Amino acid sequence: MSALIDLLLGVVTSVGGFVEVGSISTSAQAGAEFGFQLLWAIAIAGLMLALLTEMSGRLAVMSKRTIAAAVRERFGIHFQAVPLGAELILDLLLLTAELGGAAIAVKLLTGVGFQWWVLPIALLVWMILWFSRFSIVEYGIGLLGLLTLSFVLAAWRLGPDAGDVGRSFVPSLPSHDRVRYAFLAISIVGATVSPYLLNFYSSGTIEEDVSQDELWTNSVTAYGGNLFGSLVSMGVLVTSAMVMGPLQIKVDSYEQASLMFVPTYGSWGVGLFALSLGIGCVGAALEISLNMGYVLSQVFGWSWSANKPRAANARFSCAFTVILIVASAIAVLGFDPLRLTMISVALTVVVMPLMVLPFLVLMNDTKFVKNQTNAVVGNATLAILTVLGALMAVLVIPLEILGG
Amino acid sequence: MQLIRDLLDKGVIDRHGREMGRVDRVVVEYGSGSPPRVVAIEIGPSALAERLDRSLGRWIMGLLHGLDMDEGQPLRVHVNQILAVTDRVKVDLAFGETPAASVEHKLRGLVTRIPGARR
Repeated sequence: MSALIDLLLGVVTSVGGFVEVGSISTSAQAGAEFGFQLLWAIAIAGLMLALLTEMSGRLAVMSKRTIAAAVRERFGIHFQAVPLGAELILDLLLLTAELGGAAIAVKLLTGVGFQWWVLPIALLVWMILWFSRFSIVEYGIGLLGLLTLSFVLAAWRLGPDAGDVGRSFVPSLPSHDRVRYAFLAISIVGATVSPYLLNFYSSGTIEEDVSQDELWTNSVTAYGGNLFGSLVSMGVLVTSAMVMGPLQIKVDSYEQASLMFVPTYGSWGVGLFALSLGIGCVGAALEISLNMGYVLSQVFGWSWSANKPRAANARFSCAFTVILIVASAIAVLGFDPLRLTMISVALTVVVMPLMVLPFLVLMNDTKFVKNQTNAVVGNATLAILTVLGALMAVLVIPLEILGG
Repeated sequence: MQLIRDLLDKGVIDRHGREMGRVDRVVVEYGSGSPPRVVAIEIGPSALAERLDRSLGRWIMGLLHGLDMDEGQPLRVHVNQILAVTDRVKVDLAFGETPAASVEHKLRGLVTRIPGARR
């Protein structure tokens, strides 16, 4: 019974890390500009993430290593230096965007400028990390993240045509702005398949000491959790399509995006949007900060664990603290969080092949995954992802310039 | 055993199982007329950085030295002190007694001043 509750909790709380600035902004823009037409991109991105998440968990269970540690051991520092550098820069940008997103959420609630809220929010994130164990970070924020289901409820109450929604799961070309459409499709993938989610998940698997007998729970959590998370992104897109689309409002800021809740929730709408955005962003900021501490510790071989006193692993504790200080310093400078988000998701796509290719090798190396190597289907999917990732990486920058 | 596949970049633990770092460099001795042999492994950021770029290694070494951290010089573990090479490299040392722990110790001094760090 307890295992079942843990499993359910694992699936349900995945929403906490899934819905954040990237997924909210790309889905809201996609809905406002192209109606339901990009729902297929969310479905594919969710499936890609589920697949990669399952593999990162399986790798951790079988090898007792996270992705960062396994890549260092299997490929050496010369190979790892490039994806490591890219991931650290990317995570820092994304963390800055999440802090900015959470600050905008408080601004929506209070009316006081968002830059005033960056440092208090960064302090809150740091305090949660400093005083809590891993399970509190994971489940606590995950349960609060259930508030983001308000997007799904809003979409439901707006009563979209089921046939139109269903047809949107088949990719089709739009009648206008094809470059922008392609850019948003790729951005949705970039916003969903964030590298930090994968290493964070494999680190969590080790923190929770998941055994080989529990491998099936890894699969259920990875697929169930990510598909559940995708449902919320789809809720954002549908709500935006039905509210912002007919009014021809493009989502150029989070303030504009908050209006999508008004027809459903009335005077509570903006507040509820702000709470959903704020909790999603704080949850993601917690995971990104912790993950950067994890990555640095695992690459350099320092001891790490969010389940031990912070003084026991001083380098790990200092790593996530310094990262948070740097990110909040950048956020205070006043970069537009929405713009920063769109840049980070585009860069995610650029580094995606570097992230997926090592997976293909690791998941077939019996030294790491023993008898749990990938089946033909898993390998074929990873190979396709690598090629698609490389193609998207080449396309995303020109598309960002032309259609971003 | 293959040096690059089985030794380089592997995690190193001390005799109590505490993580010490990774095998950042393998020291090989070339004797006249005899085959090359491994004499030691090295642990430390400067050794790692030097593998990537010699000047980066010198810069890291200088920085750590400037911060009064003994780890400016990598910790050299003689091959006789290696107890086992499995999925990790176990060495006959106690992490806390080696210079490799100097950064951890310095930072712990700072961290313990913050409330909640020992909980």
